[in-house]
Amino acid sequence: MTERPSFQKEVSNLMSVLDGNPIDVCIQCGTCSASCPAVEYMDYSPRHIIALIRSDLKDKVLNSDTIWCCSSCYNCTVRCPKEIKITEMMYALKRYSIWKHQYREGTIGPAFSGKFVRMVVKTGKSYEPGLAPTFMFRYGIRGMIDNMQMGMSLFNKKRIAIIPKTVKRIENFRRVLNRIIPIGVEK
Amino acid sequence: MNGKRILLIDDDPDYVYAVKTILEKANYAVRVSYSPKEGYAALRDGEFDLVIVDVMMGRGAEGIIVARKLKKDRELKKLPVLMITGIREQTGFFFIGDPRHETFLPVDGFLEKPVNTEVLLNKVRELLHSEQTVELKHEKQEEEP
Amino acid sequence: MRYAYFPGCSLETVAKSYDVSARLTAEKLGVELTELEDWNCCGATAYFHIDEILAHTLCARNLAMAEKTGLDVVAPCSACYKNMRETNTHLKKDPELRDHINIALKEDGLEFSGQQRVLHLVDIFADDVGLENIRKNVVNSLKGLRVAPYYGCQILRPKMGRENIENPEFLEDLISVTGAEAIDYPLKTECCGGSLIMTKNPVALKMIKNLLKCATDKGADLIVTTCPLCQVNLECYQKQVNRKCGTEFSLPVLYFTQVLGFALGIPKDDLLIGSELNSPAGLLTRFVREAC
Repeated sequence: MTERPSFQKEVSNLMSVLDGNPIDVCIQCGTCSASCPAVEYMDYSPRHIIALIRSDLKDKVLNSDTIWCCSSCYNCTVRCPKEIKITEMMYALKRYSIWKHQYREGTIGPAFSGKFVRMVVKTGKSYEPGLAPTFMFRYGIRGMIDNMQMGMSLFNKKRIAIIPKTVKRIENFRRVLNRIIPIGVEK
Repeated sequence: MNGKRILLIDDDPDYVYAVKTILEKANYAVRVSYSPKEGYAALRDGEFDLVIVDVMMGRGAEGIIVARKLKKDRELKKLPVLMITGIREQTGFFFIGDPRHETFLPVDGFLEKPVNTEVLLNKVRELLHSEQTVELKHEKQEEEP
Repeated sequence: MRYAYFPGCSLETVAKSYDVSARLTAEKLGVELTELEDWNCCGATAYFHIDEILAHTLCARNLAMAEKTGLDVVAPCSACYKNMRETNTHLKKDPELRDHINIALKEDGLEFSGQQRVLHLVDIFADDVGLENIRKNVVNSLKGLRVAPYYGCQILRPKMGRENIENPEFLEDLISVTGAEAIDYPLKTECCGGSLIMTKNPVALKMIKNLLKCATDKGADLIVTTCPLCQVNLECYQKQVNRKCGTEFSLPVLYFTQVLGFALGIPKDDLLIGSELNSPAGLLTRFVREAC
């Protein structure tokens, strides 16, 4: 009978099957942390996250803000001496976190990504004003004013679309997506 | 044991534990695989009467790839496949769960998580019974000249 | 030189100046950009957070449509470029995934077989047109203009076949061809924060501040970018950075196609120079007028 997988095994299962080495071979050298442009703003550095995963400390990993501070710049991935695809690990952790609804309260990333995906399923293109509600009100009154002011300025410079654009063959497009995962558009 | 063997392919250890318990209590023999890779390995060296497969695993909707692969395989295509999907629960998307999709998805039946014990057992019974019907049909065909 | 042009979602709205200047500059240099008919969003980073297979499918549809035209794909946005290039590589290496996605693409009468290359717009000018050809066509020398060459991240990483990703020079070469001086810019390959500007605003603002400070300290008159996310982050959020960090940055940020186009003699209004929010119109316009 297969054993219940450790968190490390769960994360490995989530990562793409191609290329790269599993996080098992990490030597904790810290090159990833030293290369990360956002490391000083993270709870745990990338290196530390790998150590936590290998120690089966799932809750610590998912309740930290590390993965949501990752901007996918791939600096860690290209420099890792053991060729671990660390950025891909971050994507895998984000998927895990979203699928299981396990993340720190107040994290904007999950709602933002969910809205983005739904928008593209609906029209085939992304539409920034549609995303605004997921983060506009999350940075206090000042943050809201900043965003609105910027929005107005951009609007005056004709850099904001009022009506979202849609792919012409939208019905076909949605059918293509449905063959991958049977999701629809809310009416 | 009633002699029926079920393979469960799902990456969620907690959910797997719950479903395994329900099925074993109903006297099914259950083997668990936590990833598609493990699932294929199990199918290579084991014999099963039903496969229950989750959708969201690995990179994304891997369960659909698994189901398609099974249906394409000469040996395994007779094996009924029950898809248990947590799509709506996991991603918050609107899941097209209407019967029309039974033909669209490469499976013999699907259920949405969270699954009620009775609903699950009824569906399992239904699919195992229809597999017997398929077996009988095949036997009959062999008899006829 | 003909390519299937994939503008991406930003170029239809907030980065309109990139789209317009790209088309005009390409035309000037004899490059034919045919917009990919009915292209869809590349999925950005958000799709990878939910379902990687679905993310690859989005890009595969675009690549399959390009296949029908027989042209290679060129993307001006680094994120689109990276996504489509990675999908191209992944599907070529993974037949199971490719077959699975092709079943889906059939619903739109498409098929992916990995024939097309995916290029970034910069590569078209730097490699295919060539620096000498561009130099021959420069009519407005930008001599005296000090430009910070900002690559950003996804045009270089992950490894996609470029030789030198730690200290690339191709953007500096393009800038130099206009007569302008490409200054030493140590943070030229550091990330601008991307979509963190929305999901983790304080973190992205600090990253942007570091980039602006480095460019200012090194004496840049303006920053040149190769990606709409970078341009918007560095330019549109300067005001927020100043307010939050107590700085006083006022550095113009333009697309490389706008600077190149101007050097080639395309009027600055046509290139939509002036559609920025907080650029010090005084400094830039003065220089631009002098160059004319």
